[in-house]
Amino acid sequence: MKKSIFTRIALLLAIVLMFGGIATACSSGKSEQPANNAATGNGAKENAGKGDKSAEPVKLKLWHPLNPNAQAVVQSLSDVAMVKEWEKKTNVKFDFEHPTGTGADAQQQFGVMVASNVLPDLIVWNMSNFQGGPAKLFQDGTIIKLNDLIDQHAPNLKKILEEYPLIAKQIKADNGDIYVFPNLKVGDHGKYKTFSGQMIRKDWLDELGLQLPETIDEWEIVLKTIKEKKGVIPYTSEKDMLLGSKSSMDFIGAYGIGKDFYLNGDKIQYGPLQPAFKDYLARMQKWYKEGLIDPDYASNDNKAKEAKITSGKAAATFGYIGGSMGAWLPSLQQADPKAMLSAAQYPVMNKGDEPKFTETGWDYSNTGAVITSANKNPEATIKALDYLFSEEGAMLKNFGIDGTTYTLVDGQPKFTDLIMKNPDGLPIGQAMAKNFIANYPFPGPDDDRYNDQYYSLDAQKEAVKAYAKFAKNSASVLIPPVSLTPEEASEFSKIMTDVDTYRSEIVTKLIMGTSSLDSFDKAIEQFKKMGIERAIEIQQAAFDRFNKR
Amino acid sequence: MMRKLANDLVRNKAIYFMVLPVVLYYFIFKYLPMYGSIIAFKDFSIAKGVWGSPWVGLDNFKDFFDSIYFWRVLRNTLLLSFYQLLFGFPAPIILAILLNEIRLKLFKNVVQTVVYLPHFVSLIVICGLILDFTNREGIISTMIEFFGGERTTLLGDAANFRFIYVFSSIWQELGWSSIIFLAALSGINPELYEAARVDGAGRFRQMWSITLPGLIPIIMILLILRIGGLMDIGFEKIILLYNPNTYETADIISSFVYRKGLAEGQDYSFTSAVGLFQAGINFVLLISANWFSRRVSGNRLW
Repeated sequence: MKKSIFTRIALLLAIVLMFGGIATACSSGKSEQPANNAATGNGAKENAGKGDKSAEPVKLKLWHPLNPNAQAVVQSLSDVAMVKEWEKKTNVKFDFEHPTGTGADAQQQFGVMVASNVLPDLIVWNMSNFQGGPAKLFQDGTIIKLNDLIDQHAPNLKKILEEYPLIAKQIKADNGDIYVFPNLKVGDHGKYKTFSGQMIRKDWLDELGLQLPETIDEWEIVLKTIKEKKGVIPYTSEKDMLLGSKSSMDFIGAYGIGKDFYLNGDKIQYGPLQPAFKDYLARMQKWYKEGLIDPDYASNDNKAKEAKITSGKAAATFGYIGGSMGAWLPSLQQADPKAMLSAAQYPVMNKGDEPKFTETGWDYSNTGAVITSANKNPEATIKALDYLFSEEGAMLKNFGIDGTTYTLVDGQPKFTDLIMKNPDGLPIGQAMAKNFIANYPFPGPDDDRYNDQYYSLDAQKEAVKAYAKFAKNSASVLIPPVSLTPEEASEFSKIMTDVDTYRSEIVTKLIMGTSSLDSFDKAIEQFKKMGIERAIEIQQAAFDRFNKR
Repeated sequence: MMRKLANDLVRNKAIYFMVLPVVLYYFIFKYLPMYGSIIAFKDFSIAKGVWGSPWVGLDNFKDFFDSIYFWRVLRNTLLLSFYQLLFGFPAPIILAILLNEIRLKLFKNVVQTVVYLPHFVSLIVICGLILDFTNREGIISTMIEFFGGERTTLLGDAANFRFIYVFSSIWQELGWSSIIFLAALSGINPELYEAARVDGAGRFRQMWSITLPGLIPIIMILLILRIGGLMDIGFEKIILLYNPNTYETADIISSFVYRKGLAEGQDYSFTSAVGLFQAGINFVLLISANWFSRRVSGNRLW
């Protein structure tokens, strides 16, 4: 049977297409990154390590979504000077795997990785990304328990856990297991736990003869005066921090209630169910009506809100010391050299009260390293991690290389110009990320002395102190990092997705005055129908277990 | 029957080989993933895998139907989709017919390029533009004020959402969707027009009696396809444009599922169940649209 040329071509095409299709099918979903073969000075081993010199370094595969600061300047953490030094000191060699894309993308890639059971040796991430937390990962056999390893091979962390029982409580699971090698703010150099809060145009306050507001009534007077005398939006916000929602960053605390779940003694309570929440709503409704709140607060995205502040169209809002104040002030002062932002405390009800509901974090940032069951050298891994808690390692992690990125002045680390006035013109945050790991969570201790320099403006230096002033009060109302069982977690999130949607809608309508205050009673009924009481129970149970740790 | 098929296979090997990649493509990328749909009936956990997760029957569907938002998101999905069909479907046809009437080549090309443009701009940028245009200081608010209205943030009001959404979608896709109709128009026999002119038909009469009937088959086929996709509106544009103030008209099935499944809950089983529900409705719509079209106009997909 003679085949025509056409048939042959068709055949060929068919085969090519077929294999082409299959090949692309296989290669999708694997984010293969070019191996980083940057020579890391393997030959030159100086005499300053803890590891056994004669032994080959232990190879460890580390999975870690890279922080944007670092993404901007390095391909992988292997290129960071501090990491090279850390590897040398501890005789390990990290092979970093950085998933690409957003948080949700990283979560998917993590899911695929776990499902395929091709695990790295350790994972560094914020534990809230795992549904059911590290306890669930342990149950599924993905990660191992660290108690004995820490006991035997992590003297530095062990000391901290013995010294600070509350920190030990935070990193333990309900049954006493430890799965995470944590990132901590601890000791004399770990006092700053609040990096955000209310900010207001200090120059306008001075001009109008006003003091920084402390009580909610003072806030009202200040906002009113600014509105009348300056004709700008007194207070602005954005849709991701909706007033009165669970991510609200505003005035709820003045009414002695939390914006979401919070502690009252040892009872968990839910802010919107408290009678005081209605008073808060009434006040916000009044403010909105009087034009004290940005009429577009619910549709502003972050960009729009920032534009309002930096163009002098709005006077006060919530912000971060680094990312907001550090960016807004310079651009404000370009237009108006007198412009000044100042940190204001969260409002209280009566003069002399201290704010309790501030944006404060715990000692344990919920970020840390977990060691997977695929790890063949858990001992070497723990030793390498624990090095970061040693005095030498902590300096290395937070300040980089002595003489290159910092020098000791009167015993205090001072960053060199390589960081503060980077010759390549990198912003401070990026210059840091290129050389060491201080401005984002990573296993090991954080050090306030880096913040003192990172916040280069005086206003920022004052702000970090102002926000730290009442930070300790929040311990009485802030729910510690409790852990829900996987079943609880899935039930809880089912209830809360609906509740949160409903709440943000009803509260927004109320504040904007499209529905009346009385309708909130109906909303409370609806919350109950959706199972809010069950959600409180779940939180309470988790908190009680936490207390028993 | 089987013998016939076997004979045919041998006789037309080459043709069967040519169709093989297509069949394989559909099998690998469209049919095999359907296996994953069974997680809609399970309490899926990644660690246990698709097969190891426990069966839960119709619980995930029940969760969705029992949600207090079920009717709202269903209504919003269908309404948005219906409006898009009602106003968005005829628009490119009209544009194509109008373009077809333009005799000036240069002008026609310029117009085409301009209306195609928005299609190539990324959705994020488009939504950024929409937000900028419709906010309190935006160009549209300025126009409204000029005509004596009041400045507001248009997307802060649930009443405006559907209009803005549908209108901007038309603006985005108008040019791009008109291409297929232009292609169909170029296939109409010019002799027909000549004959019509001889019979004394004017421009409009020609449009009505020749151009439009020439387009009907492609119009019907596209319409059937569009109706079969009535339930899937992407969540991307919605979540970029909505805010709690506009949930009432803007929250649709896919954005609701996005919040529940990806943003907060990571509840893959639930999202699969909703996906199946949407696919089911689409399936029914497609079948009935096809049946209806066959009865009415004789055009059909199968």
